[in-house]
Amino acid sequence: MPEQSAPVTAEMVHSVESSSDGGARRFFARWDRKFLRLQSPVARYGFAIACIAVALGLALASSQLEFREVGLIGLARVLLTVAVVLAAWYAGIGPAVVAVALATAAYVFFFTEPIYSFAVSWEDSPNLVVFLVWEAGALWFVIVRRLTETELRAARDRLEREVVQRTQQARLLDQTHDSIFVRDMNDVIIYWNRGAQELYGWSAQDAVGKNSQELLGTVFPSAAAGARDALLERDRWEGELIETKADETQVVVDSRWSLRRDDQGQPAAVLVTNNDITPRKHREEEIVALNRELIKRTEDLGAANKELEAFAYSVSHDLRAPVRHVIGYSELLHKQACSTLDEKSRRYMQAILESAKRMGALIDDLLGFSRIGRADTNKTTVDLGQLVSEAIAELRPQIGDRDIAWSLGALPACHGDRAMLRIALVNLISNAVKFSRHRARAEIAIGSTEGQHNQIEVFVKDNGAGFDMRHADKLFGVFQRLHLSEEFEGTGIGLATVQRIIHRHGGNIRAEGAVDQGATFYFSLAKA
Amino acid sequence: MEQLGRILLVEDDHRDVELTLTALEEYKLANEVAVVRDGQQALDYLYCRDDFENRIAENPAVILLDLKLPKINGLEVLQQIKSDERLKMIPVVVLTSSKEEKDMVRSYALGVNAYVVKPVDFNGFLNAVKELGVFWAIVNEPPPGSVRK
Repeated sequence: MPEQSAPVTAEMVHSVESSSDGGARRFFARWDRKFLRLQSPVARYGFAIACIAVALGLALASSQLEFREVGLIGLARVLLTVAVVLAAWYAGIGPAVVAVALATAAYVFFFTEPIYSFAVSWEDSPNLVVFLVWEAGALWFVIVRRLTETELRAARDRLEREVVQRTQQARLLDQTHDSIFVRDMNDVIIYWNRGAQELYGWSAQDAVGKNSQELLGTVFPSAAAGARDALLERDRWEGELIETKADETQVVVDSRWSLRRDDQGQPAAVLVTNNDITPRKHREEEIVALNRELIKRTEDLGAANKELEAFAYSVSHDLRAPVRHVIGYSELLHKQACSTLDEKSRRYMQAILESAKRMGALIDDLLGFSRIGRADTNKTTVDLGQLVSEAIAELRPQIGDRDIAWSLGALPACHGDRAMLRIALVNLISNAVKFSRHRARAEIAIGSTEGQHNQIEVFVKDNGAGFDMRHADKLFGVFQRLHLSEEFEGTGIGLATVQRIIHRHGGNIRAEGAVDQGATFYFSLAKA
Repeated sequence: MEQLGRILLVEDDHRDVELTLTALEEYKLANEVAVVRDGQQALDYLYCRDDFENRIAENPAVILLDLKLPKINGLEVLQQIKSDERLKMIPVVVLTSSKEEKDMVRSYALGVNAYVVKPVDFNGFLNAVKELGVFWAIVNEPPPGSVRK
């Protein structure tokens, strides 16, 4: 029965009656078991009647042996009283009352004057009184014992139910996946559930009775005393601990302690629930490591960017100056010596000038391109229609007196950096003007269509030289050109700049065209 | 002939000095140009100290200031000029190779009067210098205490 497992399970969940109760309990349990043999009413009453019958038989038999003078009445009284006590002891109160009645009747009938009558002579009445007192005493004893026994039985039943309940709870604790153990105030483990066995690798037999901190090699995040103080103060503590398993690997647990106090309010035991958070910890560490890596890369990138900026600044100042000087002195020389130079020398001079100018244009375009990548965008609502007008106005010198049929569609407002978008439009329109210059009548159309994702798609279409779609991927590369510079001048940076601007706006740019059939550039932008 | 103001040219590159002077010459503006070669000299000139102790203590009508200068750079010179009560009224024109936006922003923040990027093209440069010289040294009415001949 539950008595065997009760001490451990009950102590672990709750403080339980002290073990000095154990002896009394065992005694009454044995006493009760004898009672249990006479459970049916027939057996109990039968037993009572049989007891009286046997006692009466013995008493009558002894009367045949002429013991009358030596106190037959006294012997009969003893035998009948013993019978009543036996009936009461083994058969309970009801049968005992019946036994008392039968014994009294038998005593009066057989052993008081006049014999064989239920009447009692005056002389014999003291004997009857003594007999009745004996019977009453026996009955009183039995009733008291019976009441005590009933109480004890009820108490035992309660205890038994509690033990069953606790055992079930203990089984439930055993079944949880969390690792749960109980240690007393000296850190000695007194309960160890299956979860703890699974987590740490020690069985309950291995663990119970050991010092938990020594067994688990507990490492506290800060001083262990702090955790203990917090536990005593608030009756609970929560924190991360590093512990060592039976196989000597380390495990990080999220540990929750709750303090159990005894009836006097003194700390009695600590229930420890541990969750294995090692995988989570590893993931966290990985994330921290990745973050560190990311920060480092960002810093590297920042440093590289700074370097690039310093480089661009230097280029902007120092590379431009010699080019200006070459051009400046060439022009001065040209002015000074033009009249004395022959045709060939003049052509050389022109070549120097043109090359230097081209160098200057390249540097300026490259710097512009790099600036687009580095500059912060300042996005506002931009009227694209107005921006197109401004771009065309800016290109007046390039257009000159050429006959261009402009077809300008409606352009909605969009969201972007005005200065950058202006550069993009100037580049695209300038290209359209440039590559359509061999047409007697150039046609340039600018307009927009609805795009996806709340975007608009703007197009710039010309009827100029066009390009071979096979080389479309090269259009937007830096220094990539699809035409000879004698044919169409340029640095090969314009479209790369346009693409960078559009990308910085979260848009896309593409081109369609065919050789000698014109080209159309499409780019998408967020609507205002 | 128009009255000619004294122009202080702060320029470290001797070829740029020559080209600038040539450009000013074209428009007969070269005569009264004082040339200094770094930021330190520029400040010495303006404060009439060290090498310039004995110069007539009058402010130039305009300062043409390069940004990339040895010792003390153009922006520092500009900052010093604009934070000095006696100097801050002198018009300062930054004349530089750099198209860098941050230089431009910083210059204007310090109170520069004009910011000119030297064009690669020499004709453009000639025009720029001419216009600068004519405007600041001739057309513009200089602040009191500046040289006017």
